[in-house]
Amino acid sequence: MISNKERRCSLLLIPKLYIMNRNVRKILLGIISLSLLFAYTFVASCDKKSKGGEADGKALDRKALFVNYTANYILPGYQALKTDIIALQEAAAGFTAAPDAAKLSILRDSWYVAYLSWQKVDMLEFGPAEKQSLRSFLNIYPVTTSKVEQNVSVGNYNLETFNNYDAQGFPALDYLLNGLGSDDASVIAYYTTHANAQARISYLNNVIAKMLEKVSAVHTEWQSYQTDFINATGTDVEGSLSKMVNAFVLYYERFLRSGKIGYPVGAMTAQPLPTHCESYYSPGNGKAMAVTALQSVIAFYEGKSFDGGQSGKGMKTYLAAIATKDDDGTLMSEVISTELNAALTALNGVNGTLRDGVVNNRAAILGVYDLLQKAVASLKVDMVSAFGISITYVDNDGD
Amino acid sequence: MHKSITSIIVYLRKPHYSASLAFFRIAFGLMLLFSMLRFWSKGWITELYVNPAFHFKYFGFGWIQSWGDYTPLLFFICGLSALLFALGLFYRVAAVLLFLSFTYIELLDATNYLNHYYFVSLVLFLMIFLPANANLALDNRLKPSTARRFVPRWTTGSIRLMLGIIYFYAGLAKLNADWMLDAMPLRLWLPAKNDLPLIGNLFNHTATAYAFSWFGAIYDLSIPFLLLYSRSRAWAYAAVVIFHLMTAVLFPIGMFPYVMIVSALIFFDTAAMDRWFRKLPSGILPVCNNGLDYRFTPNAKKYIGAVFLLFFTLQLLFPFRFLMYPGNLFWTEQGYRFSWRVMLMEKMGYAQFVVKDAVSGEQTGVNNNLFLTRNQEKMMSTQPDFILQYARFLARHYQERGMQKPEVYAQVYVSMNGRRSRLFIDSTIDLSVQEDNFCNKAWILPFEAMKK
Repeated sequence: MISNKERRCSLLLIPKLYIMNRNVRKILLGIISLSLLFAYTFVASCDKKSKGGEADGKALDRKALFVNYTANYILPGYQALKTDIIALQEAAAGFTAAPDAAKLSILRDSWYVAYLSWQKVDMLEFGPAEKQSLRSFLNIYPVTTSKVEQNVSVGNYNLETFNNYDAQGFPALDYLLNGLGSDDASVIAYYTTHANAQARISYLNNVIAKMLEKVSAVHTEWQSYQTDFINATGTDVEGSLSKMVNAFVLYYERFLRSGKIGYPVGAMTAQPLPTHCESYYSPGNGKAMAVTALQSVIAFYEGKSFDGGQSGKGMKTYLAAIATKDDDGTLMSEVISTELNAALTALNGVNGTLRDGVVNNRAAILGVYDLLQKAVASLKVDMVSAFGISITYVDNDGD
Repeated sequence: MHKSITSIIVYLRKPHYSASLAFFRIAFGLMLLFSMLRFWSKGWITELYVNPAFHFKYFGFGWIQSWGDYTPLLFFICGLSALLFALGLFYRVAAVLLFLSFTYIELLDATNYLNHYYFVSLVLFLMIFLPANANLALDNRLKPSTARRFVPRWTTGSIRLMLGIIYFYAGLAKLNADWMLDAMPLRLWLPAKNDLPLIGNLFNHTATAYAFSWFGAIYDLSIPFLLLYSRSRAWAYAAVVIFHLMTAVLFPIGMFPYVMIVSALIFFDTAAMDRWFRKLPSGILPVCNNGLDYRFTPNAKKYIGAVFLLFFTLQLLFPFRFLMYPGNLFWTEQGYRFSWRVMLMEKMGYAQFVVKDAVSGEQTGVNNNLFLTRNQEKMMSTQPDFILQYARFLARHYQERGMQKPEVYAQVYVSMNGRRSRLFIDSTIDLSVQEDNFCNKAWILPFEAMKK
C-alpha cells in the first residue's frame, strides 16, 4: 500500500511521457541512438582529417615517444658520457704518471669535453640516474675546497658519503686542475713536489674512478630499465611521462635557470654570488656549459636525436597533438620552443665570462634570467597541465 | 496556512518503511570506517595533518587547532564512531561524535577540501536528527522499544533531497562554455588515459571529450529525477554505477564514486527494502517486525523542522553566492567551494614569493617547500585566499626571524582549462597587509576574455 502511494507521488514529478505506445517508443529510441552513433563517427573522422596527415592517435602515442627518447637520446647520451669519462681517466693516468704542462693541457681538454657531455644528460635524473644519485656524484658546486684538501691530507675518505658530494665530480676536478695555482707550473707542483703530491694524485684518480663507476652503473641499468620505461605509459606519478617530465622541468627550473644563472647573479636577492658559478676555477668555460645545457634542453624537448641529426617524437610533438594554444592562437608547443630559443640567443650574446658578468655585467645576465624564467611557467604550468600529469618534485631553494 | 502547504506537510509526515534509512546508515558508516582505515594505511594522517608546518584554514575557522602527534587519535575517534554508527549502537552519541570528528578533520586544513567530504559532513549533520537506528540497529536489541518499522517520509526524503541537490547543482555547474562548447577540461584529461585497454583509443578523439562532457551534464541534471521515478529507477541506478565506475577508472578521485554509488541506494523503494531485509536470515542486526511508527515529540518536530528548513534553504542558495562577486568564477574562485563544482576545471599554477624588508631593503626568495607540502603548494598556487593566508604567514615568519617590516610579493602564473598561463594576482601588491574576508579581492587580476 505504501509503495503504491510512493509510486503515485513520484509520478507527479515527471511529465507523463510514458503514455506513448511501446513500439513508437522503441523506434524513437532506435532513431536517437543511431543518429548519435552517426554523429559521433562523423565528428571523430573529421577530427582526424583536420589535423592533416598524421591522425592524432599516433601523435599521442606515449610509447612511441619513449622509444624515441630511449633509443635516440638517452642511451647514446650516457654512452657518450661514459666514453668521455674513460678518455678523461686515461688522460689523468697519463698526467699523474709524469706530470707536465702538455699532459695537463690534455687532461684539461678531456675534462672540458666530458663536462660538456654531462650537460647533455644532466636533465635525465630519473630512473637509473635518480637511483644512483648521479648528479650528486658528478656536479655539485660550488666545490668545498677545504673538504678536498682535508681528504687529500688525511687520506681516509669515502666518496660514497653524502658529506663528500661537494668534494668530487667535475667541480672538484675544476679545482684540482685549474684552481691550485695561477699558472701551469704552480699547478703541476702540487702533483710533483708538494708534500701530499702522491695523495693528491690518487685523489684525482679516485674522483674520476667514482664518476666512471656511477656513469657506468646508470648506463648499464638503462639497458634493462628501458623496457619498463617504454611500457609505463600511464600518466599517474608512476608513469614514465610524469617521471621524465618532472625530472626535465625540475632540472630546467632548479639546476639550469637557478643553478647556472639565477643563484650566481642573485636574481631573487639582488646579491651576486660569483663563487656559485659553474666551472668557477676556469671561468672561460662557464658560458659554454650553460649554453650546452640550454641547447640540450631544447633538443630534448623537441625530441631531437642525441647527435642532433634527426627529429622525432618528443614532448613538443605530444604537446602539439594536444593542441593547447596561446592567446593569439599559436600552439603552445611552438611558444615554448620560441621562449627557450630567445633565452639561448640572449645567453650566447653575453660578453665575457659569467663569473665576471654576475658582478659587472648584471643587466645582461638578469636579462637572460628573465627569459629563462618565462619558460618556467610555460613548462611547469602550461605543458604539465596539458599533459594531464602533475608536478611531483619539491620546489627549489629560494634563489 | 495555505491548503497546499498543509497537504505537503501531511504527506511528508506520512510513514514509510524505516529499512531504507537504516540501510543507508549501515552503508554510510561502513564506508566512512573504510575511509578512515584507508587514510591511515596510506600514511596520509601523518602526511597531510601531522607533518605540515603550516595549515590553511577556512575563513572563520582559524581557531581550529591541529592535534599534532595526537591526530591519529582523532581519526580513531572518527573510525570508532563510524563503526558504532553503522551498527546502530548508541546511535545518537555516535552520530554526533562522527559528525564532529569528521568535520573537525576536514576543517584542519582547507587544502584538503573535497566536495564529497563536505557532502559527508552535511549528511552526517542531518543524520544526527534522523531516527536511523529505528531498524537494523543494535540499539533495538539493547532497548527493544526503539525498534520502529515505519518512519516519517521526510526523514528518508531529506537524504534524497540532499543527493538530488548535489547532482542537480553539479549539472548546473557544467553548463558553461568551457565544458559544453570546448569540452574542457575533459579534452585534456582523456588523452592522458589513452593507454587503457579497449576504450583507450577513443580518448584520442576530441569527439569523445564532447560526448563525455554532454553526457555528464545531462546525467547530473536528470539523474535525481530518474532515480525518484519508480519506472526508470533500476535503469537510472545502473547508470549511476556505470557513470561512477567510469570516473573511478579515469580520474584519481578516491572514494567519491563509491560514496555516490552507495548513497544513491537511498532512492530505492522503502517497501522493497523492507521486504528484502525480512527475507534475509537474521544476523547481528535485528530486522524490525512490529507495526509501529516512529514519532517525534511535538518539540522535536518544531525544532527539527526549523533546522531542516533553514538547512535546505541555505543549501539551495549558498552555491549561488558567486553571483555577488565580479569576474570569472573559475578564475577568482570567489564562491567556488561548497557548491558542488566537481572535476570541473583543469587549473594549475606556479607561485614564487619574495619577502622584502621595507626597512633594511634586504630581500629573499621563498622556498615554498620549507613550509608547504606538495599538495598544499599545488592548491595554494591557484586559489587567492590560500595565497593570501600563506603570504601573511610568511610575513609573520620572517618577522620572527628578525626582519623589521616584511613585505610579501608574489609572482603567480596560472593556466586554466588549456589557456596559456598568465599572471594571476597583482605582483606589485604587498600581500602581507591585505585582509582576508568575504569582500571581493581586488588584487586578483581580471580574467578578461582569453582566446584559446
